[in-house]
Amino acid sequence: MEKKNDKIGVYVCNCGTNIAKIVDAEAVAKYASTLPNVSLAKTYKYMCSNPGQEMIAEDIKENGLDRVVVAACSPNMHERTFRGALRMAGLNQYMLEMANIREQCSWVHKDRKAATEKAMALVSGAVKRVLKHEALESMSVDMNPSVLVIGGGIAGMTAALEMADAGNFVHLIEKDDHLGGNIARVDLTAPYYYSARDLLTDRITRTREHKNIQVYLNSKLTELSGFIGNFAAKIKHLNGKPESETKAKEVAIGNVAVCTGYKEFDASRITHYGYGKLPNVITSFELESMLKEGKVETKEGNIPKYVAIIHCVGSRNKEFHTYCSRVCCMTALKYAHEIKSANPKCYVSDVYIDMNAFGKGHEDFYKQSSQAKTLFLMYDKENRPVIHKAGPKDDCEMLIEVHERLSGEHIEIPADLVVLMVGMEAREDSHEIAHLTNISQDKDGWFIESHPKLEPVATTTDGVFIAGTCVAPKDIPDTVAQARAAAARILARISKGKIEVDAVYAEVNEDLCSGCRICNVMCPYSAIEFDEENKKSHVISALCKSCGVCVAACPSGAIKGRHFTDQQVLAQIEGIFNKAEYAETAEAT
Amino acid sequence: MAIRVNPSYIDVLDKFGAEDVQLCYQCGDCSTVCSHADDIFKFPRKSMRQLQMGLEEKIETSLEPWLCYYCGQCSEQCPREADPGETMMSLRRWLISRYDITGIADKFFKSKTSEIITVSLIAVLAGVYLMFYGFSGGSLQVYDGEGAFLPSSFIHSFDLIVGGIMFLFLWIGALRMWYFTMVKGFSIPVPWWLYFKKLYEIPFQFLTQKRYAECENNGESKLYMPWLIHFGLAMGYTFMIVLIMVFVEPLQAGPEIRWSVHIFGYLATIGLLAGCIYFIRQRILKTKHVQYKKTHSTDWMFVILLIIIVVSGIVQHILHRTGFLEAANITYVIHMMAVVPWLLRMPFSKWAHLIYRPLAMYYAEIQREAVVRQQKLVDPLSITMK
Repeated sequence: MEKKNDKIGVYVCNCGTNIAKIVDAEAVAKYASTLPNVSLAKTYKYMCSNPGQEMIAEDIKENGLDRVVVAACSPNMHERTFRGALRMAGLNQYMLEMANIREQCSWVHKDRKAATEKAMALVSGAVKRVLKHEALESMSVDMNPSVLVIGGGIAGMTAALEMADAGNFVHLIEKDDHLGGNIARVDLTAPYYYSARDLLTDRITRTREHKNIQVYLNSKLTELSGFIGNFAAKIKHLNGKPESETKAKEVAIGNVAVCTGYKEFDASRITHYGYGKLPNVITSFELESMLKEGKVETKEGNIPKYVAIIHCVGSRNKEFHTYCSRVCCMTALKYAHEIKSANPKCYVSDVYIDMNAFGKGHEDFYKQSSQAKTLFLMYDKENRPVIHKAGPKDDCEMLIEVHERLSGEHIEIPADLVVLMVGMEAREDSHEIAHLTNISQDKDGWFIESHPKLEPVATTTDGVFIAGTCVAPKDIPDTVAQARAAAARILARISKGKIEVDAVYAEVNEDLCSGCRICNVMCPYSAIEFDEENKKSHVISALCKSCGVCVAACPSGAIKGRHFTDQQVLAQIEGIFNKAEYAETAEAT
Repeated sequence: MAIRVNPSYIDVLDKFGAEDVQLCYQCGDCSTVCSHADDIFKFPRKSMRQLQMGLEEKIETSLEPWLCYYCGQCSEQCPREADPGETMMSLRRWLISRYDITGIADKFFKSKTSEIITVSLIAVLAGVYLMFYGFSGGSLQVYDGEGAFLPSSFIHSFDLIVGGIMFLFLWIGALRMWYFTMVKGFSIPVPWWLYFKKLYEIPFQFLTQKRYAECENNGESKLYMPWLIHFGLAMGYTFMIVLIMVFVEPLQAGPEIRWSVHIFGYLATIGLLAGCIYFIRQRILKTKHVQYKKTHSTDWMFVILLIIIVVSGIVQHILHRTGFLEAANITYVIHMMAVVPWLLRMPFSKWAHLIYRPLAMYYAEIQREAVVRQQKLVDPLSITMK
């Protein structure tokens, strides 16, 4: 609690020239030293560096500082760092306030005088606020070592095996009657022609026989409650029966890996390809099953002379999906190879927009396809091919009309068999999973990572991880890598045994709570439960992200955001608007 | 109207030597490095594309393949080893087969055996006929004058007939070439006087081979050998044809040497011999220049026939001047056995470029000016060409 004679140390960072170039750091420090309770104010080149942190720690010890203000970058960047400095000196880490004079000041302003004044105002606000800070203690919760994996494809099985091998029990839910997912529908894989069956069989057998894995086929997740370390999942075994008639099994788990995969684009949605109307227009998955049977034929049972492969069906298209499905280009090249080697008299035209050969071995594979005499024809994203039936005089069954970009000609391509490279899209039930596990989806329905670059498998819900093609289209190596990454993240948490929960969260003052439940609906993280007995709402601190929505929404003012109390925020505002104080000082300097 | 793509055409061009064309992914490096490609004649990239897509009519009516002299820079630069230089060469072979109305060229390019059989047959027929003629009216011991085995007046007429047949087919081809490139494939109106204005291009390009000299010098030597050799060979060829068509009688007479005629004969022989040795050496060693890395069967036929002609010609000349008249007559028959198929084969082989290439340069200049005229009429500000 605030004490009248608490000593505050203010540290103004130059951030090299990032701050000092626009903000007069010395003047800010000088001004800060005039503020009440401030016993010292210093500047330093890089406050986040080791000497910078040590300086703060030593000042706390030697001068008996009670609270610290660091005027530097965004707290997103270095709040953790400076909290560490406070802990090092034996001070409660929440006795820190940062004034952002870089992102919100020096980087966005040009006028040195005005920027300096603004920095002073921000520091003044921080000083007022830090006086209201309370010493908070983080808490820790136990971690249940069992894991729930949703989806029995290559990602789900890989993650499950990885975690089960490490000695943890895994519940694996698969909604189909078999494991394997989409890869089970594929013949060979690009670019090395590994048999998809070989990739799967070993994994399926190991998954089914593993003593640490319980596989639930024909099953679905119906409820997930609790928080990281202590989730409770309800699994229903459907097996053809309606959901309401089956009894759910409840399992206790600590973490969840969502590996629900993708579904292919429905080609009949694009009318000018005639899928479903022209018998010899097929999708890539239909060709896969032909290849699995070992014969590529037209519906009439003839060997096609001309095969045309059309890329980006449903992908890279304003009407359907704007994203690239990533795997179709190499799969198309694989088809070209397979068709040509099965029947050298067959000519394959590959009708594409761009050849996305980004992966390992892909560019070489592309070159091999050229060597195999595949005819590559480039079309324009905005100008899609049209398929129609050929006339009686033509030596082919269909003609594909398109504007070819590399020659600049308007052409027609002969074809007896047309293969549509259908893209990937989010499963129709993905929103259900997203809702149950409390993760977000983007505009296309893909699950959103907590950081697209640095946190590719974590979600904004602690303890729920995502991997594979439910996140975005990707190929098998990337899917397996993500599955292993998710498993590694979960294993790291399990091996720690306990999980630290930030002390900053919302709290309900039950004496004031009227039980209106407005906050229950508002919470974007499903972190508020309703206690039916007492008729009061309760925040699950482990799930709370301290966004403050409930605090603002509560009509009774019963919810307090720890570390973001009304008094703290008001004090900060008061400090910032205490103009007279800083304006006078600025003139004097 | 949409143009029909022909994915199977690639297999046809394979036989003409364009084996790697499907490797091309249209980056355009070849056109950038080419000294001759410009805004109007965009090759090799464009030609490669038309070939990949099997756009027969587009290639048939294009002049581009003739504007390439195969310096090989494009093939060296190609990031995908699609060998654009060799593709242009193959297209020239293919165009010759297209200009040829008889279908003989097509047969020769596609089948090595049919060419060997035809050439051998013509050689044997020519040999039998000449032997028959010689023994029926003359004596093997007499080389010239009264009772000669192969009188020079007879050889002259014989040469004229064989040469006439050759030129007939060559000019039919040239006429078809004009129709394809200037009528069928060129829609911009060409005023008649342009044909006269640009006429100088034919003798100029033929005699100087200036464009070949403009090809990028690989920096190997100051005198660009391929140009020099090609020039020597072309001139030797031309001199020799003029000599045997017009001056065969004074050339054959002897034993004294008439320097006014023979000096040209010797010069032409040196040119042909040097060219032959150079080409054989390059083709066997397959060194340095990419243009010799791949050799079509028809290329060998040319070199073999030429070396027989040159060697037998030299031997026969020496035998005649040293008084071995019997041996000289027999060598003469052998010489003629190579000369006849060599001349008759010309309109159906790569060596028809002797006519087609200067014509192509001429047509290209006409087209270039016609395009500029058109642009001036349509939009005077749009002219960006050199």
